[in-house]
Amino acid sequence: MLSPEAFADAYDDETLHEELPDSPVGSLRDLQYLYGKLYTLATTGGGEYAPYLTPDAAEDLIDTDRSLVVVRVDLSGEEPRLADDDRGPVWITRYTDDLVTKVAHCYFANKGAGIDHSITHKSGQRKSPEKLGKYATDRLTRWPTEDAVAELAGEHDDGWIINKLAAAGESEELVQNVKQEVKRQLDGEKTTAVLTVQIRREEDGEYLWPGELDVIMEGMRRQRLSKLVTKNKADDSSGEATDIVTGAKTRTVGTADDPQNYFLGKQREKFPGLDIEQAWRSHPISEDAAVTVMNADAFTDACSFYALGARVFYLPYPFGTITPEGARDLYRLLYAILDHDGLNPVEKAYDKTREGERVFGDGSELRFYVSAVLAHQTSRYDVVGETLNGKLFYPRHLAQTHNQVVKTEPFLDSEWTAPFPTNENWALLSGSDEQLGSVTGGWYFTQTFADHDDDEAEEDDPRIDALVAVLSGESIAVEQLLDEYTDRITTETNDEDREFPSFLVASQFAQLCALANDELNLLSTTDDAKESITREPAYEKPPMETVEDILPDGGNPGEAKLESFIEQTPAIAPTEDGDDTTDQRRGAFLLGALVGAVGNYQGYDLGRSTTLIDQFPVKSITQTRIKKVTQEAIGKTVTYTREEGRTVTKFSHIVERLRETVLNPEPDEWVLDTDDLRFYYALGVTYGMNDRATSNNEDT
Amino acid sequence: MGQESLDDWTEEGSFPSRCLSVTVRGPWGHFRRVEGNVVKQTYRVMPRTTVAGLLAAVLGIERDGYYELFGPEQSAIAIEPTEELRAVNMPMNSLSTADGNLRSLNGRGKVSMQLPDPTALRQQHNYEVLVEPAYRIDVALRDAERYAELRELLDAGKSHYVPSLGLSEHLAELEYHGEFEVESQPASGKVNVDSAVPNAVDSLVVKPKVKSGIEESPAFMTTDEGGRTTTAFTTYAYNADGGALPVDNIETSRVGDRTVVFV
Repeated sequence: MLSPEAFADAYDDETLHEELPDSPVGSLRDLQYLYGKLYTLATTGGGEYAPYLTPDAAEDLIDTDRSLVVVRVDLSGEEPRLADDDRGPVWITRYTDDLVTKVAHCYFANKGAGIDHSITHKSGQRKSPEKLGKYATDRLTRWPTEDAVAELAGEHDDGWIINKLAAAGESEELVQNVKQEVKRQLDGEKTTAVLTVQIRREEDGEYLWPGELDVIMEGMRRQRLSKLVTKNKADDSSGEATDIVTGAKTRTVGTADDPQNYFLGKQREKFPGLDIEQAWRSHPISEDAAVTVMNADAFTDACSFYALGARVFYLPYPFGTITPEGARDLYRLLYAILDHDGLNPVEKAYDKTREGERVFGDGSELRFYVSAVLAHQTSRYDVVGETLNGKLFYPRHLAQTHNQVVKTEPFLDSEWTAPFPTNENWALLSGSDEQLGSVTGGWYFTQTFADHDDDEAEEDDPRIDALVAVLSGESIAVEQLLDEYTDRITTETNDEDREFPSFLVASQFAQLCALANDELNLLSTTDDAKESITREPAYEKPPMETVEDILPDGGNPGEAKLESFIEQTPAIAPTEDGDDTTDQRRGAFLLGALVGAVGNYQGYDLGRSTTLIDQFPVKSITQTRIKKVTQEAIGKTVTYTREEGRTVTKFSHIVERLRETVLNPEPDEWVLDTDDLRFYYALGVTYGMNDRATSNNEDT
Repeated sequence: MGQESLDDWTEEGSFPSRCLSVTVRGPWGHFRRVEGNVVKQTYRVMPRTTVAGLLAAVLGIERDGYYELFGPEQSAIAIEPTEELRAVNMPMNSLSTADGNLRSLNGRGKVSMQLPDPTALRQQHNYEVLVEPAYRIDVALRDAERYAELRELLDAGKSHYVPSLGLSEHLAELEYHGEFEVESQPASGKVNVDSAVPNAVDSLVVKPKVKSGIEESPAFMTTDEGGRTTTAFTTYAYNADGGALPVDNIETSRVGDRTVVFV
């Protein structure tokens, strides 16, 4: 396979212009065709027969001893005979790079048992001289008599060559000679080899390789094509139609393979009377396009990996009609992805752009075809998320934004602790260079969404929805996020011995903030009450004013911090237009904050094993219980205030605000749904637990 | 929307000079992409062939009987997604409908039908289904008679067959807006196009905030003795949010206060 540099040297603009499709990628087939073209150009070169060749199939034999067995036949005389020149009737040598196109091997895997369509055949591993002798003679006895090849003999100008090869195969004496010669030269050694022929057409002529004889190549092509219309027991699924790839009116075939198995012969369907013989009508693909599309699989395989129990494909391509320069750049990228260094195509492309390069030097926009495929069986597939319009911008910007969010005020310690915990071991709370890989591999959502079985992916896995949405810039429903978040929080607290999952809640909140980023705009809702959640919070980035700067008179730093957090978080900030849904959400948040703060005090300062946090777990919070929980929590603060003989109510900065919001309007009239209340309650608990001085000398 | 004489305009040179404008919408839609049969993914923009089929249903034309009427040069159709294009996964149980697996009911009778063996095991497959799709369709036909018939039917809110969005269970609702003059606009600089833009991906002005998508779908069909085939595909560029799409230097048409591109 050519290196990107060799590829650029080998193909000038004019050649590429001729070889490449002249319309933009508008479907998966277009994209597979483009990949197949690049692959063919990089391996077997251009030309009529190049897409049919499979140079990789025998790549392992290159430059090994006794890896090429050539049966040399002279067809120049009346009767076919074996060569009698210096090189002899059978030539056993090394298979080398420069012989690949001459030997012209065409192999296709077929459910474990592969098949060679070319006159050239690759033997199995380490075969005996007897076996190899037999395979060598098969070149003459079998290949020329295959139906599709024999048919060509009557049509092609050089058809006589096929007939004469067949005649050679019928000569018992000639066949025995070949076998003996192979046996003699191998001298008892087993070997793995490519077996082929050389043919002399006329007296004093050269012995030619299969790749140098059009009739042999055409025979190979016919053999290959005959399989495109007979798969799955079809007799002849072909007909004249418009090629889905090139738009040309031509012979199209109905049972060609699709590298991604989206289109197969027999299907259960809503449409009646599916007839495999007519498959070419609904999926018309020309023979050449079908074969080229099949050659895409080296690249499509490299651009896929397993995530969330599904096989995820990321196929990069330039938006719009491809230019020669664009083709070279795409090849460079695909070549780099083949490298198998563990980076997925999105990360690879990002690596390039990070170095200041554009993926496409001609200015084309980079897009990705993205799909998540569940393979139940080899012929039972489901695609659960798909887009032709994935953009590098979204996952890249999301990863960066998330890393920035956790460097903003709510996540940073000062004199007073950060409202939310940070932990270097939690990538979602500390920022990470691997955040992009986490986003594109689905791990980003696995950490925060409800538990799903990774081995058995499901059609309705919301993580896959979220993953594909992020890649294509579509939005995720806030309702779904809150549902997943609260589901995960309640699962994590089901076990009574476990502590409140404050790292989880903080991670979810950071994710929510990142998704709400203005430029990304990845959150949507159909519920007016949730619109404020989709807005980006305005947290300060460091260097920020310290609490002491804000409060030179030494007021309560916790109060200032809470005030600014509420102000900067659109989902819970008071509004001027009287939208009381943010008031309700703020009520739930403040209640959580009080429960968290009191619970923390009970646990740390009073050494209680059961605290308010355990008493009012997230799953117990409903609209009807808000009032009761509020009364209990406030009651506790009164008790502790009295016990400590304080003049100011303990946690007064939270209590005062909570009183205001929970009274107006009454929780009975709240309109927020349970997931909404619970998530912001959980967020509050996390906040409250962290709402304390970093050193112990301050307390309120 | 007066009932003018058809001759007034059908003989004029430019086509289309007038069109009928109708919005089709429904709770669900599924327009199977041709590159899949194992997988059931849907186009985002209602394919032109499906639009033709739907209008033929209104006109009461049988399957395979309308391809010429809606053929190239014989018809002009612009398709505008008017709502955000959104899809969900909908797993459905299905039975084999291959010939060998169908049972005949009343096979020898005058009226007989075939249906899948109801005792067979179901196989579940995921269908990608559009949620609340809505498309504004502008359509012109050279066949003046059919055109007038379509206008009357749309105007009266009638249809011969039940219109649907792809699959028959996804019923469609039609809202007729009336007949409009079509004013063609030569290519000149940037223009915001309301409809999906056919075959002009390279003219698209890529903007970060505009969620432009592209897809290639069947546009024209024909029949032969064995069945039907697609004769041409169209690559549509569309705005996934349902708004206008900025395009540079292409021919467009004005229909009322909207800018569309016919194909």
